[in-house]
Amino acid sequence: MEDLLYLYGLIPAEEGGQSLPDLKGFDGIGDIYTIPVGKITAIACNLDSEMYSEEMLKERINNDMEWLQEKAFHHHETVLKLSRIYTIVPLKFCTLYKNQDSLNTAVTTNEAKLISAFDLIKGNEEWNLKIYSDDKLLKKQVSENNPTIEAKKEEINQLSKGRQFFEKKKLDKLIESELEAEKNKISEKIHVGLKEYVLRGDVKKSWSNEVTGRKENMTWNGVYLVSKTKVEPFLEEIQRYEKYMKEDGWKFEATGPWPAYHFTSF
Amino acid sequence: MQPISQTNGKINLDPDNAEHGLAQLVLTVVELLRQIVERHALRRVEGGTLTDEQIENLGEALMNLEEKMEELKEIFGLDDEDLNIDLGPLGSLL
Repeated sequence: MEDLLYLYGLIPAEEGGQSLPDLKGFDGIGDIYTIPVGKITAIACNLDSEMYSEEMLKERINNDMEWLQEKAFHHHETVLKLSRIYTIVPLKFCTLYKNQDSLNTAVTTNEAKLISAFDLIKGNEEWNLKIYSDDKLLKKQVSENNPTIEAKKEEINQLSKGRQFFEKKKLDKLIESELEAEKNKISEKIHVGLKEYVLRGDVKKSWSNEVTGRKENMTWNGVYLVSKTKVEPFLEEIQRYEKYMKEDGWKFEATGPWPAYHFTSF
Repeated sequence: MQPISQTNGKINLDPDNAEHGLAQLVLTVVELLRQIVERHALRRVEGGTLTDEQIENLGEALMNLEEKMEELKEIFGLDDEDLNIDLGPLGSLL
């Protein structure tokens, strides 16, 4: 049976002339290589269709964490290395084509979309900014500096003990919602402030503490497409925010450059 | 007493430390019930069907329960995170 094609990414054909770094493919045996498809060049490797059948891949992805971790890391590392050399539209983990014909069809059908994606990301970098907040500290600030909450506290103090209990619980809820609103307001302000330095900025879902393994809550998870010439001022601006907001319980984590996963699709 | 430092939501039932693990397990269940009772009481108060006296009594009883829980947590060296459990789609208890 014919080998499958595992696709890492797509680059403009004019960049395909540069020599490809020596990188092993998904099975760790074969090498990755380029496949020209008109104005676009695909970077792929071959996979034995019996060993890497759809059922086998599904089974491994769902039940073999060690394998999944190793292969996801391989995919990520390979695409990352390629993104340092080429203007690349990165492909999702485990993008497979049955043969070169099906790859050609997919690329040709999306040619115009891919070319505009190359135009968008050429000379630019994808950066990620995660903002974390120490909610205990912020909650204290919110409850101390909010006149509505202050007034409510005064009012509660005048009540009988049993009533106080319930009113305090309600107030806690109010403080929680004020805190969330405040956190969003501040993060959005930073996001808008950063837009001055970026071509595009998108907001992603924040991760839970279980995923981050951190004590602080993730308040903001933004992705930005930044021109290479603006990366330095962009990062300096983030450092400035960090400097001024650190004491109030805010932490900033900028990472990149990443392959432009969020600003391209195939 | 040694505090149970783990904060990953798992109950520590290490044989050498069984009484701590058991205390954590029991207090987690008690805290879950206490939270359910408290939320239910709050709904009833907001529903407006209770008399002032009933509200007063309920509030005081729940306040005492909360204080007792704090004392127990201190005695067993546990903090809020140690009594937190993941309630799946409902989110975390605390």
